Amino acid sequence: MPLDFYRDPLFGQTMITLMAAAVLVLQITAVAQKSIVANIYVFAVQSFLLAAIANTIAWFNNAPHIYLAALLTFLLKSLVLPAILLKLVERIQIGHELKPLLNVPVSVLISGLLTLLAYVIAEPLQHGAPASGPASLGHNTLPVAVALFLIGFFLMANRRKALSQVLALLSLENGLFLAAISLTYGMPMIVEIGVFFDVLVAVLVLAILVGRIRDAFDSMDVTRLSRLRG
Amino acid sequence: MNAMPVALLLSIPLAAAAATLFLRRRAFIEAVHLTAAAAIFLSAAFLARDVLAAGTLSFFHGFFHADALSALVTFLTALVFLIAAPYTVGFFRRPAPGEGAPLGGREIRNYHALTHLFVFTLLAVSLTGNLGLMWVALEGATLASVFLVAFYGKPTSLEAAWKYAILGGVGLSMALSGGETWEALNWPFLASASRSFDPLVMRLAFILILLGYGAKAGLAPMHTWKPDAYSEAPVPVAALMATAMLNCALYGLMRFSLLAAPAAGATFAANLLALFGVLSIAVAVPFILVQRSARRLLAYSSIEHCGIISLGLGLGGPLGPLGAMLHMLYHSAAKPLLFFCAGNVQQHTGNDTLRKSAGGLIHVLPVTGAAFFAAALALTGTPPFPLFLSEFTILKAAFARGMLWVALLVVALLVAIFAGLFSHISRLVFGPRPDLARGDLNRWTTWPLPVLAAALLAMSFWIPGPLLALVEAAAKILEVRP
Repeated sequence: MPLDFYRDPLFGQTMITLMAAAVLVLQITAVAQKSIVANIYVFAVQSFLLAAIANTIAWFNNAPHIYLAALLTFLLKSLVLPAILLKLVERIQIGHELKPLLNVPVSVLISGLLTLLAYVIAEPLQHGAPASGPASLGHNTLPVAVALFLIGFFLMANRRKALSQVLALLSLENGLFLAAISLTYGMPMIVEIGVFFDVLVAVLVLAILVGRIRDAFDSMDVTRLSRLRG
Repeated sequence: MNAMPVALLLSIPLAAAAATLFLRRRAFIEAVHLTAAAAIFLSAAFLARDVLAAGTLSFFHGFFHADALSALVTFLTALVFLIAAPYTVGFFRRPAPGEGAPLGGREIRNYHALTHLFVFTLLAVSLTGNLGLMWVALEGATLASVFLVAFYGKPTSLEAAWKYAILGGVGLSMALSGGETWEALNWPFLASASRSFDPLVMRLAFILILLGYGAKAGLAPMHTWKPDAYSEAPVPVAALMATAMLNCALYGLMRFSLLAAPAAGATFAANLLALFGVLSIAVAVPFILVQRSARRLLAYSSIEHCGIISLGLGLGGPLGPLGAMLHMLYHSAAKPLLFFCAGNVQQHTGNDTLRKSAGGLIHVLPVTGAAFFAAALALTGTPPFPLFLSEFTILKAAFARGMLWVALLVVALLVAIFAGLFSHISRLVFGPRPDLARGDLNRWTTWPLPVLAAALLAMSFWIPGPLLALVEAAAKILEVRP
């Protein structure tokens, strides 16, 4: 039956792999991207793809509580948070340049190496899962999740501006979400809601702090935050 | 089973936070704070009594769970909040640093509401039975306290708050990723496959957990946010962070190390805890010796004590966890006293410096000066004070395991820290009379000090029976048999 492809786990597997690849590409795009606004859009699209992956897993595994996680991801991370961040960029009128510490080619190279490392780390976990069937759906995204996590760390270290550090923290969080979804098929619902709530509050807290730092220092360059020593 | 104490413990701080937001008069806000602190303390005591009678309590499908360990941590959070309550009242009646007048209504309201929220999240950490919720609560504690660190709005406070938020956030996301790996192992989907899981993966997960919760507790090398946050936050919050939040982060670490023991090998987690413990003690030494600011000094001392507790946990056997639990209790009672003294000195002299200080505080602030000196002796584990007992127990555990060199190294480091702290504080307290007005004016910030110091001294001779039973039961839980 040609129209039944949407029930075929193999199709789901292919779609998930494809979307996970796009998520990884977007993460490396974020590394190469110099404009904060473009970076926020990249984050929004990446979150949308994550929500789509979660939806696919929920569909093929009949796990209704993952739909909620997918919905929350879509609403929160691809709509609300980018809107808050764009508003913040507009309000504090910062230059749109990101000014990373390392230049773009070196950064992309490092991201590639981190991706390689992620595959090495995640390999042992994949051996544990059965080769096919619905139970293992999405397990091959684990290396992508680890790669998002590692590249997120690298972005944190590589960026000077307070707001872009927040973005890096969020993409790191996306890696955690992907790992949670693909590996454990979501955490208990109350935990999931708690984590989303924390992410939302964290962004609000950091946004307020960015605004205040900007007012106090006339800059968002965190390398200027260096009065406290010893 | 009586769920009342747990329900009260979680609802009182929330109710107090909500009530505070609607209050205008300073006196009412203070009354709410004092009442809430007393009520939380009583509920925690009742919870401890129930746990001692029943063993383990579990409510709401295990999402809330209390055994001796969590009851002890909960009790300590409540205790520190109670100790800090009268001081908080007095602290905010005096002028804010760098300003002539005490803070106005709006700031006071925000401060108290945020503090109640902070206490709520800390209590939730130790009362939940779900590892995911524990993470959510601890992240909540970070978020509630970020604005408390940034409270005075100075550039340095913002810097401290930013570093605290970012390091805390990164650390906790590491903890979450480690926790996820763990949950994956327990998850029914993978139950059949879990045997083929590498112990290597479990070890990796535990390292992530250790880095994450260790960052929150302030174990070296993830300790760098601590001196900034402790020196910029208002004094009562710094005291809460240095004791209650430290206990809660260590509590998370304890829970995971108990879980990791069977899969990753019992000695693996224990050895890492001991290693990071000794490292933290060692890292604190040079910064204590050359420190310029009193509250940063206390922060490094808190890194050291966090290391001592972690070392005790790592040494294992019957003695190690017992020493760690005792140390947690004594440290939670002693550290707030030091922060209060440092706060009084800072408010009276207008600065927090050690090196440029004229000294002679005993002439200007007689009660604070005497208490500061006694508290410094207590904190360094000098014999008439109880921290000597717990540190000695932990050293005995090291000897019992035949780790002679570790014990000797720790003794040497502790002696160096004693020398550093003792010389700083005695230079501050003694000496010729400086050119300052005679102080100790505010009852609320003065009289808690001698009471606390006396209670601390009494604790080395006598601990209330039920509390001792709780400490011993908590240590029993942590005893991992290899």
